[in-house]
Amino acid sequence: MDCLRTGFNTVVIGGAAIGWLVISTILAAPFLWLTFSNRDRAVRKFVYIQSRGIVFLARLASKGLHVEKQTRPAGSCVIVANHASAIDLYTISAFGFDNIVYITKGWVFKLPFFRYVMNGAGYIDAETTTPEEILARCKNAVEKGCDIVFFPQGSRKDPQARFKSGAFYLAKELNLPVVPVGIAGTQKMLPAGKIMIEPARLVLKMFPVMSPKDYVGELGHLHMAQAAKKQIMDFFNEETKERL
Amino acid sequence: MITREEIIKQTNEALKKEFEFKDEQLVPTAQLKDDLCLDSLDAVDMVVVLEQKFGVTLRQGYDLRTIVTLNDLYDFIEKLAKTHHQ
Repeated sequence: MDCLRTGFNTVVIGGAAIGWLVISTILAAPFLWLTFSNRDRAVRKFVYIQSRGIVFLARLASKGLHVEKQTRPAGSCVIVANHASAIDLYTISAFGFDNIVYITKGWVFKLPFFRYVMNGAGYIDAETTTPEEILARCKNAVEKGCDIVFFPQGSRKDPQARFKSGAFYLAKELNLPVVPVGIAGTQKMLPAGKIMIEPARLVLKMFPVMSPKDYVGELGHLHMAQAAKKQIMDFFNEETKERL
Repeated sequence: MITREEIIKQTNEALKKEFEFKDEQLVPTAQLKDDLCLDSLDAVDMVVVLEQKFGVTLRQGYDLRTIVTLNDLYDFIEKLAKTHHQ
């Protein structure tokens, strides 16, 4: 039965997802182009709507989607999440964050078609941008009311990989709260390097806000990264063991 | 004075604790950037971790860019420990 659902998910829902991303971008492009000075904000809002569509399709392909929310910080924040699937990028929208800047790897900016959206929204290429420039661009984005999203593991290949501390250093430098997000089930639904979409239970959990002020000293950001990873991976391992 | 074996042991312990490396990754020929995937911020963090571990200052008066492999790092700390001891 799961085999049949995998086939259906891959052909029908996967096809619908690609169609949704491509057709919605083509249809929205002229309107986004007309927004002029506020174009980056309009593109980010558009990406949020696209992401909600992908989450809706992921729900159809899943064995259930559970979203556990917390009250978000009043101002901008740094969102950090574990990363084991291409779907993860879109799941952040399930928490209602609709004005976000992603810090991602360079290859995403080379994808035909999608690169226009990435550049238009003001997302940041972590590989070709210097740390000083990333800090300056994030500061600018925060002044525009954006939240900053990092996947501190940097790659989808190892779900247990170390959390690099850059996101936490940035939070400390800009004095922003950190919102840890746990994503479980997407690594089974669409793991790195696979194209078949398997049915799986998806659980998305937002953890209580962490304050950089609680992590003092020269290695505060490193210890904050370790603390964020611990709570996210405890959740991930529990969900993976018990339910998937 | 601290021996080279002790330097290697303590350095590896610190790197395993703070950067989640496994024993098999910590071979002397491992390159910090390419094999251990330490970025520029990680390198700064590593220096702070080792300064706290060995009670020496690594950041002033030394060109840390010459440290490419773990073996270079062990050599550097050993040299510094000898200077510190004299």
